[in-house]
Amino acid sequence: MKLKLGTNRLTVTAVAGLLGILVVGQLRGQAGVPGLSNLTVTELTQLIANVTAGNDQLRDEVVDLTRQEAKLTEARDRGETTVGELAADLARIRAWAGLTAVSGQGIAITVNGAIAGAGIEEILNELRNAGAEAIAVDGIRVVAGVVVAGEPGGLSVANSALGDAFEIRAIGSPQILTGTLTRTGGVIAQVTATYPDVRLSVTPVDAMTLAATDLDLGPTNASPRL
Amino acid sequence: MNTFVGRLRGLPSVQVTLAGALLVLGFLIAAQIAAEGPRNRYSTEERSPLIETALGLQAQQEALKSEIVGLRTRIGDLEAQDPGAADSLRRLYRDLEDARVRAGLIAVTGRGLAFRLEDGTQGGGLDALVTARDVRTLVEELWLAGAEGIAVNGERMVGTSAILDIGGSILANSAYLSPPYTVTAIGPSDLYDRLRASVAFVAFVQGRIEPSGLHLSVAELDSVDLPAFAGTVNLRYATPVASTAP
Repeated sequence: MKLKLGTNRLTVTAVAGLLGILVVGQLRGQAGVPGLSNLTVTELTQLIANVTAGNDQLRDEVVDLTRQEAKLTEARDRGETTVGELAADLARIRAWAGLTAVSGQGIAITVNGAIAGAGIEEILNELRNAGAEAIAVDGIRVVAGVVVAGEPGGLSVANSALGDAFEIRAIGSPQILTGTLTRTGGVIAQVTATYPDVRLSVTPVDAMTLAATDLDLGPTNASPRL
Repeated sequence: MNTFVGRLRGLPSVQVTLAGALLVLGFLIAAQIAAEGPRNRYSTEERSPLIETALGLQAQQEALKSEIVGLRTRIGDLEAQDPGAADSLRRLYRDLEDARVRAGLIAVTGRGLAFRLEDGTQGGGLDALVTARDVRTLVEELWLAGAEGIAVNGERMVGTSAILDIGGSILANSAYLSPPYTVTAIGPSDLYDRLRASVAFVAFVQGRIEPSGLHLSVAELDSVDLPAFAGTVNLRYATPVASTAP
């Protein structure tokens, strides 16, 4: 059998083969980074900034925990007790979880007017994103499971009714918290655009104390996997 | 004109076929790019190094979180081995363990629900993409229905957890999560009944999920595992207030 293929046919075959390889390569490359390949340059930059900041915090945590482990190991090897270390760890975890009262600098956001729970949750979400370490709404500590819910005029938090005027307090860097909330196009601008009847004002506070939660955060249906 | 037609007629049929095929291919590629919708808006060479950087950072984050969980486990073990474990110390250990469970720093297991929240079909526009607000709404409704613990794509939700939009995906606890989103929750046996009885949850399904073509499915499970929160619990600005309790 004789193959009489001209130069043109060979060229077409080569181009088609190359194209096929490129298409498969591109598809595999995109499949390897689900989601990321769909982000724009701006979104990728934003993502990198956020993850970098998060990783920095995690590194600090690793340093602290490593130091704590070393202290405990040293104390155990010397046959000493570690009451001080344990008590400090306990105080830190309980404060972080909202089980004890905390004090510090931060901001106060006064809310006046009819707003839905979803609007307040947007603000709380942004406060958490900006690094708020403790938050309270109308004096009620916001911990895991506490949600501000309801339609305008019928808000509640942790089974307590909220009026049309109340205050959100958050402990953290006043500059970062204020800057994040009040930036152009930020959450305050978005919420006031959605709820034009509401007035929000953000004020730095030098010192405040947020009470512990009244809720029992102990699980009754979940078991620890120790 | 006659010269052009004459030259065209003089071309070998293979070249004409090739030109036609490439023209059609070009049209198809352009049409495909245009039809891929809002999730695929840019495709420039500058994205490749950014994607590599993001992937590297995500890998670092996974490693750091694993290290944190490992360190916390070892610290817990060391505390339990304390040689001077008098009654007061044992009480301190118990309190620490209890605080860690309440804070979400320990993995838990129990009966619960698993939701899967997915984008709608292509052509639905931006409304057919799951947003951070959708995920937050589901999480909030689960808390209100009595959930004791929740995780989103394996990220444990705690009091400091924020969920943000990044393009068509989300960041939760500073971790990049891409759709579909699996929201798992542990709670009372009637957790799903309570959820379905919520006016706000029904409004979310009827007013957001269904009209936008998003997909929300749920399974009631006898056993749901929630991981421990692996983020930071350091306080830089808040100071614990000494308890006045006896």
